Amino acid sequence: MRLTGIAIRHLVLTCILFSVLSLAGCAQRHDTPTLYERMGGQSTIEAVVENLLYRIADDDEVVSYFANTNIDLFATSFATQLCDISDGPCQYEGPPMDRAHQTMGITDAHFNRVVAYLDAAMQEEGVPLSARNDMLGRLAPIYEDIMRLQ
Amino acid sequence: MFQHLSSKRCLAFTVCLALSTLLTAAPSVAGSRILGTGAVSAIEGAAGGGLSPWAVLTSTASEGELSVTASATRAWLDDYRLSVIGTSVNIHDRMEFSIARQTFELTTLGGELEQDIYGAKARLFGDVLYHPLGIWSAGILHKRLVDGTVPTALGADDTSGTDAYISASKLLFNAFFGRNVLVNSTLRNTSANQGGLLGFGGDQGGRGWEAEGSVGVFITPNWIVGTEYRQKPDNLSVAQEDDWQSLYSAYFFNKHVSLTGAWLELGDIAGLPSQRGGYVSLQAAF
Repeated sequence: MRLTGIAIRHLVLTCILFSVLSLAGCAQRHDTPTLYERMGGQSTIEAVVENLLYRIADDDEVVSYFANTNIDLFATSFATQLCDISDGPCQYEGPPMDRAHQTMGITDAHFNRVVAYLDAAMQEEGVPLSARNDMLGRLAPIYEDIMRLQ
Repeated sequence: MFQHLSSKRCLAFTVCLALSTLLTAAPSVAGSRILGTGAVSAIEGAAGGGLSPWAVLTSTASEGELSVTASATRAWLDDYRLSVIGTSVNIHDRMEFSIARQTFELTTLGGELEQDIYGAKARLFGDVLYHPLGIWSAGILHKRLVDGTVPTALGADDTSGTDAYISASKLLFNAFFGRNVLVNSTLRNTSANQGGLLGFGGDQGGRGWEAEGSVGVFITPNWIVGTEYRQKPDNLSVAQEDDWQSLYSAYFFNKHVSLTGAWLELGDIAGLPSQRGGYVSLQAAF
């Protein structure tokens, strides 16, 4: 009887341990989604970039910086960068931000306006507020890179 | 500038101006900075929360841009009523100049106190959104009582004085349940009693450093809710002075119009205990 009791206790303990472990496993499998996923994946990111480009096209001052830019190449490159920075399955291999914008004469006003266009584009493409804030926060340090060689 | 207009007429004028702007807001003339990054008008005229100046410069003017704001504020306390009208200008997001006229009605004791506040603030370096250390600014607030009889009778040394402050503000992206959080701290060198309304200096002390701070959460990009704290000197033995605190909610309709509501806890003022009350402030930016 005593042995049976011990065996049952072991069995119960093992069950509890097993369920705790599998719960932990569950928790790990349902890991918090990446920003890339919360944004809506590659299709949303590409829509955001396109939306942003339309907004830039309407801003005479900002659009002048794109006069010698291959827009398709820029769109692909920027989408890859957003995918990379949001922990998506991409690797941005384009030029560093300081070199890409050097001596263009970009002012704080232009930079701020593009940030506002990007946020509005994300909002219009249905990106939730928390994901927008997260993305803007990850992009914020780029300001120093872009302005370094102005 | 406000000498010839009664504060009521100015208030009405500012309100009308703001409301008409609200209806006809043209985004093309707004500054380029992000909505809300100019904070609102503090009671001393500078851009800030309500009680304290912040490091950000007024409105949304950025590099190469100019902007002007007008504000009207009223606070209803248990035994007093404060009205403030003010205007400020932002030059290239580098310098801010402000003028404010405060009228402090002693609704229980009778009479009123008035002072004019001339402010200047310079952005030293940084940016509230993009710089890892946020934005850092330094400013002065030169205050002149219109009639110093009452403050002098209470024991104040002077009827005018100048505050100097250094302030830092930083937006923390995605910091609280996916929302952005705005923190600010200000260190002020002042001898002003109750902000200057009860004069400057007194029998218990003079100039000293006071700390001020605030934290707010942008529930949406248009709406921030937060709290503010302002340490105060205690220079007059006949009128004990307490630190100020507030709970505030500011709504930015667009880059031109914001409306702030707050609950104030201002402690003892001029011998009357635990002054509390509501606060409303309207700002228009052009």
